[in-house]
Amino acid sequence: MPSAWLSAHLRAARPRVLAALNRVFGDIDLAEDAFQDASLKALKAWSPDRMPADPVAWLIIAGRNAGIDTLRKRKKETLTAPDDLEPLPEGPHPEDELTQSLDHAVYRDDILRLLFTCCHPVLRRDQQIALSLKIVAGLAVEEIARAFLVQAKTMEQRITRAKKRLQAAKLSYEEPDRTARAERLSAVANAIYLIFNEGYAASQGEELIREPLCEEAIRLARLIVRLFPEEPELRGLLALCLIQHSRRKARLSRSGAAVTLEDQDRSLWDRKLIAEGNILLEAALRKARPGPFQIEAAIASTHTQAATYATTDWVEIDRLYRALEHIRPSPVVALNRAVVQAKLNGAQAGLCRLEQLAGSLERYPNFHVVRATFLEELGLAEEAQAAYRKALEFAGTNVDRDHIRRKMKVSGGQ
Amino acid sequence: MLFSVLIYASEDFIDALPPEELATVYQKHGAFHEHTKTNNSFAVATKLMSTGTSVTINKDKDDFIVTDGPFAETKEQFMGFYVIDCPTLEDAIEAVKILPLDHGRIEIRPVEFFEGADFKNAERLVISAS
Repeated sequence: MPSAWLSAHLRAARPRVLAALNRVFGDIDLAEDAFQDASLKALKAWSPDRMPADPVAWLIIAGRNAGIDTLRKRKKETLTAPDDLEPLPEGPHPEDELTQSLDHAVYRDDILRLLFTCCHPVLRRDQQIALSLKIVAGLAVEEIARAFLVQAKTMEQRITRAKKRLQAAKLSYEEPDRTARAERLSAVANAIYLIFNEGYAASQGEELIREPLCEEAIRLARLIVRLFPEEPELRGLLALCLIQHSRRKARLSRSGAAVTLEDQDRSLWDRKLIAEGNILLEAALRKARPGPFQIEAAIASTHTQAATYATTDWVEIDRLYRALEHIRPSPVVALNRAVVQAKLNGAQAGLCRLEQLAGSLERYPNFHVVRATFLEELGLAEEAQAAYRKALEFAGTNVDRDHIRRKMKVSGGQ
Repeated sequence: MLFSVLIYASEDFIDALPPEELATVYQKHGAFHEHTKTNNSFAVATKLMSTGTSVTINKDKDDFIVTDGPFAETKEQFMGFYVIDCPTLEDAIEAVKILPLDHGRIEIRPVEFFEGADFKNAERLVISAS
């Protein structure tokens, strides 16, 4: 059997199977090991002609039995394993019966619990990203380490510490009520966006965009949208990721330099992703329950509707940023609004808004770049150069530094 | 005779395919296009967006109820369809063998009535089932 084909089956089944095993055992480590065992069994038993009717249910049973085995072995050593778990028969189609009992609602809450566990508020952001990629997406530690430019050993430690922290927090395995479910969904959406953003605007290293991270985030967002189509913020999240990702080819020049929205060749934008993002956003907005992801997606969507940068609907974008400032104020949102204000009312208006943000965005390179462009427009060349130098000081990637140097050169040459 | 070629697959699986595997899936679709266009049996190709984009509309007495997503989650989703014009079912089956069949399933169902728009030429396209 082609191994890529089999591993795609395992990758596709992974979130659901792990989620079910996590519920059965209440222990993410044991669930992961059990999934590993079940995958090895599948490698031996599956082939394109001999596929179980329901691979997910097949893997849940195999994993459950493997986990029970482990618990029994541990019990002999420590006498602490529970007695109420019995292995299920592993005949040719033992999953049929189980499939009946695993209805949509169970999957939904299981997967939500698994995702929420991985991005639980007790974890740091980098731990949330690492755990989600490792446990839910099933990326190898080496792959995650490579994406974050750390040694595999460092990443291994980060994941181990995160798991310890989860154990110490003694998470509850109860069914969430409505409020708890909404909180979980929002935490999960934020974590998925963190993953996306880490790929979209890499904070360190040589590359600006790390596509595999963006694609994993989109895959997770698609999964959760399929499970919770009635949640407009999740559709907003997916819409936002798709529209941002649609620009990936235009955001880098041939030499790998960053190209800003203003200078991008819009014919390189992926119209298929834009169309999907726009319709997801429209479907989400029908619910009249706006949230930050829907608004950000609407901003991204407004940009896609302009044939050129010059024809951008800045009034609409300003309106959307104002809404975003209202429901989720942040210095970065305020910075973006300042840029829009400068478009509408001139560089001086933008500069005035920046003054209030200097304290909170001092270490944020883009703040200084924006400030430099305003100063330049106002004819204050020397001050603009000083602002670019500040930006260089805080830039994290070489692509960023090159981009700033180029702007600096253009500005200095005037 | 017009036949619809209805394609079902698991979206989870398609999302999990590595790019090289996905490329071979598309290659097979490309071969199907070429085959059916060469022998003039090609009529329609439609690929649907992910089920995450869909809404379902129902009627409850006098109210329309629009719910998000497909009505129920199934293991396989309807991904898209072709319409081909073949002399016999046998020809349709032969053509469909070109499509990727390692995963999911493809149903061939004869078309009773077909009317569509030729978007490119902004004309109405009518093909009678014969």
